[in-house]
Amino acid sequence: MEQLEIRNLSFSYPDAVRETIVDVSFSISKGEYVLLCGNSGCGKTTLLRHLKSVLTPTGSCRGEILYNGVPLEQVDGAKQASAIGYVMQNPDDQIVTDKVWHELAFGLENLGVSRETIGLRVAEMASFFGIQSWYHRDISQLSGGQKQLLNLASIMAMQPEILILDEPTAQLDPIAASDFLNTLKKINQELGITVLITEHRAEDIFPVADRVLVMEKGHLAANAGPREIGHSLFDARSPLFPMLPAPMRSFYQCGGTGTAPLTVREGRNWLTDVFGEKKPAVRTLPPLPELPKTEPALHIENVWLRYEKQSPDVLKGLTMTVPSGCLYTIVGGNGVGKSTTLRTICGASKPYRGKIQVFGKETKKYPRGELFRNCLSMLPQDPTNLFVKQNVREELEEMNPDKQAQIHAAELCEITHLLDAHPYDLSGGEQQRVALAKVLLTNPRLLLLDEPTKGLDCGFKARFARTLKRLTGEGMTIVMVSHDIEFCAEHADIAAMFFDGQIIASGRPREFFGSNSFYTTSSNRMSRCIFENAVTAEDVTALYKENLGDGQ
Amino acid sequence: MSQDSFSRCHPAVNFLYFVTVIGFGVVIQHPAYAIAGFLGASLYYLLLKGRQGLSFIGSMAGMLVLITLLNPLINTSGEHILFRLFGRPYTLEAMAYGAALGVIFALTMIWFGCYSEVLTSDKFTALFGNLIPALSLLLVMVLRLIPSFTRKTKQIIVARSAIGKGADATESRKDQIKSGISIVSALTDWALEGSIVTADSMRARGYGCAKRTNFHIYCFRKSDAFLVGLIALLAALVLALGGTEAGFTPYFYCDYVTLGFPAYCALLLVPSIMYLREAIVWNNLKFET
Amino acid sequence: MKKSTLFSILTIFLLIPATLYFGSHIKGRWYYLTSTLVIIEIMLPFFASFESRKPQSRELVTLAVMAALATASRVAFAFIPYFKAITAVIMITGIAFGPQAGFLTGAISAFASNFFFSQGPWTPWQMFAYGFAGFWAGLVFYGRQKWCRPWLLGVFGFLSILLIVGPLLDCCTVFTVLSKLTWANALVIFGRGVPVNLIHGLGCGVTLMVLTKPLLYKLNRIQKKYGMMQKEEGNL
Repeated sequence: MEQLEIRNLSFSYPDAVRETIVDVSFSISKGEYVLLCGNSGCGKTTLLRHLKSVLTPTGSCRGEILYNGVPLEQVDGAKQASAIGYVMQNPDDQIVTDKVWHELAFGLENLGVSRETIGLRVAEMASFFGIQSWYHRDISQLSGGQKQLLNLASIMAMQPEILILDEPTAQLDPIAASDFLNTLKKINQELGITVLITEHRAEDIFPVADRVLVMEKGHLAANAGPREIGHSLFDARSPLFPMLPAPMRSFYQCGGTGTAPLTVREGRNWLTDVFGEKKPAVRTLPPLPELPKTEPALHIENVWLRYEKQSPDVLKGLTMTVPSGCLYTIVGGNGVGKSTTLRTICGASKPYRGKIQVFGKETKKYPRGELFRNCLSMLPQDPTNLFVKQNVREELEEMNPDKQAQIHAAELCEITHLLDAHPYDLSGGEQQRVALAKVLLTNPRLLLLDEPTKGLDCGFKARFARTLKRLTGEGMTIVMVSHDIEFCAEHADIAAMFFDGQIIASGRPREFFGSNSFYTTSSNRMSRCIFENAVTAEDVTALYKENLGDGQ
Repeated sequence: MSQDSFSRCHPAVNFLYFVTVIGFGVVIQHPAYAIAGFLGASLYYLLLKGRQGLSFIGSMAGMLVLITLLNPLINTSGEHILFRLFGRPYTLEAMAYGAALGVIFALTMIWFGCYSEVLTSDKFTALFGNLIPALSLLLVMVLRLIPSFTRKTKQIIVARSAIGKGADATESRKDQIKSGISIVSALTDWALEGSIVTADSMRARGYGCAKRTNFHIYCFRKSDAFLVGLIALLAALVLALGGTEAGFTPYFYCDYVTLGFPAYCALLLVPSIMYLREAIVWNNLKFET
Repeated sequence: MKKSTLFSILTIFLLIPATLYFGSHIKGRWYYLTSTLVIIEIMLPFFASFESRKPQSRELVTLAVMAALATASRVAFAFIPYFKAITAVIMITGIAFGPQAGFLTGAISAFASNFFFSQGPWTPWQMFAYGFAGFWAGLVFYGRQKWCRPWLLGVFGFLSILLIVGPLLDCCTVFTVLSKLTWANALVIFGRGVPVNLIHGLGCGVTLMVLTKPLLYKLNRIQKKYGMMQKEEGNL
């Protein structure tokens, strides 16, 4: 019997013009791992929320949801609470209590389980998740990744039969995200718990998923195994195609037929099969053209910084030069000092040695407030840090009373249609663009971006890249810190690697990522045995076609 | 978080102990008792905090001197007039009273310092969670939100100053207040939005489905029962044997010290003795291996 | 609800007078202990009624958020010495959700924030003073949209702090350091507190004046957007 069955579900919010969910039907059997994907605003979250009665939004709803053959609304509250686990996107806001052990016990406390049983279940979960070492900690001492694991663990303590996860890794860095997904895989495979997940990070999930559901504008557009789904997206020229794992994208773009590769390993096998033992004639793409020589917009020399006198150094002799008019991206692991570098440039953290020059003048020598007027500006990692007003229009007015400038910034960031909305009613990608518009209204010549692509889906990323291109085209210098190697490889003018408090290498992305063997894009990892410097799926496709011609 | 022997006891033991010693501490103004209380509290505080604790005790000693000197200005009764200040008598009795008050003040503060170290929030909720389940859950939630809101506020401050909207960009108080209000306003929007998710997360995990259990990680052992008995016995002795009265103005008098006094001292030393005993055990273990 | 009403009546008419009677017969310095006990007893009915209401998740979350906001607002004004917005945020909670919610928010935020600094003899007094601020503002302004004029709120905030909340906070000092409890002596202590209370009052007044409307709007918006966070009825 199907564990979960949705029959002809339609839903619309009150006062909404069109339905958010349109006649959706599918079913999930016990132990399956199902990925639900679609761009922001396609109705994924609304659909997931229908699978748990207490979270179901108000509005008009038709259709049926059966849980183990019983209509969901007839399954009682306590049973739903424990059997259907629901993990949300934001790791922070889901946590209710102030201690790790208490959070693990929270759900069981609610169900009135006896203290002894709670103690046992909590102990089990803490062991399964490897939480013992931080079992006694305060929540405020945890990292984002730990928080999300805790959310999962505290739901697992209630012994659910199915887990529903709504973009659980969108706010995490790549290492924490893959940690989380690995744990999830373990839960699915070792405990046999059903998983229904929505995620942008398809690369990590496609290989483990049993089935992929695709939603477009409220409809269920596809429902098939992960290998079959790519084909239909490619044929339909779907806007969701860029979401697929890079090996799969290259495969279809090169005109491949048959079983598509899902992982880097399979992609590599596919390429070796095609080219055989002989190396292809053309193995390298021409180097990207040299950047024109310009004055440096930012120059940092031998900067040392620590937060407290006794604490270790965070920046250790950081030296870097950013030529004006380019997009300079800094990649690197977690906690190596990337964000600190941006804070230091803005003067929010003070180095104890070294100097920072912006447009040839030391930042310390700018008069009070002058540095941030028509000169330097930073887009924070969390765009909501900049929202203080009741609608987007007022947000823009706060920065610059000049109407013309506001209109220009709104157009540039593609938010003209959002001016009357409340900033918190927007999706993550839209919030990002509103924040960017605010920042741009200070007329910066040097713009700092802290992890701007975090949590964005592929559509929003493409738009964001377009805006950045326009800005650098107008002569703006952009320094961007990111975990998103794929984005940097595709759009950066210069890529730099940050490690241990300093920049250890930098260069044009094709050369830079082409010469890294581990810290590089999946396209590069897949193709490095055949091609020398293909770093994006497009590069792979270009070289493939150059060697074999279009088609077969 | 301190992890000495007394802190590891059941929260009920901790709570009972502090209620008793602070209660006695603020009520008894007999000089012998007050001084013993001060020394007992300071000893345990220093054991808990190490050298860092010295500055707090030092500042409390400063307060003690200040109260000693100031009290005769307010309270002018007493037989031995030392001198007259602005026509008002400055008496020895009032000064002695001030000293006693100062000691009581200091010992209360130091006991509360120990209380804060030992009786952490989770012990408080473990203790009262059954009696006031909703309030203790509310407390736990507030304790969880405060650090997160504080961090967010700091982020907002940095973010705003990096677009030239920071309070550091202006010197006018008016603009600084305006900027502070903008920050609170931004924080509120963010917090309310998050609160929706928190409420969802609570309901999704069955809040309100059944009568809640109050889970905590402390258990009541035999040794805890022994300590409760000991504390109750010593406190009862102090109450029963008396000899704790004293008066300062207009003339000084105090009860003769009874056997209640050694009982009081023993009570004061309970946590310190537990601490030292454990230290000795560790020391011996180190030599054995 | 019945049970908690009975409890309130018992507390007010039996427990408090009994505490006062026996408290004043303690040999030694009785007034700090007795006054603190009474303060705690006054708060009990509020707590009991909250418990007996079995609050729903949204109510708990709302109160928790407002209490934490009040505490965290300190950081936003860190660069202006002695300027405090905490009372203003508590008062706004009272204005938005009623006197009961105002009281609880004030009391719990004082108690919780002391876990981050230090609990002390002042804890019950702070709980009561801040709780009272929320209660009092709720009593006057809750459900009276027309009264919520900025200048009125400003004056209200300023005077409430200067005349009631500030002196309540100073009470703790009165009971801990005074050797002889007379009105004249107490006035000396209260007098010393006036400058701090003036700044506190100004901060509260200004913040109430500017922040009440936008904050009420925000609360309203969330309520509309999610159809939750119903207004809480005080049922003491």
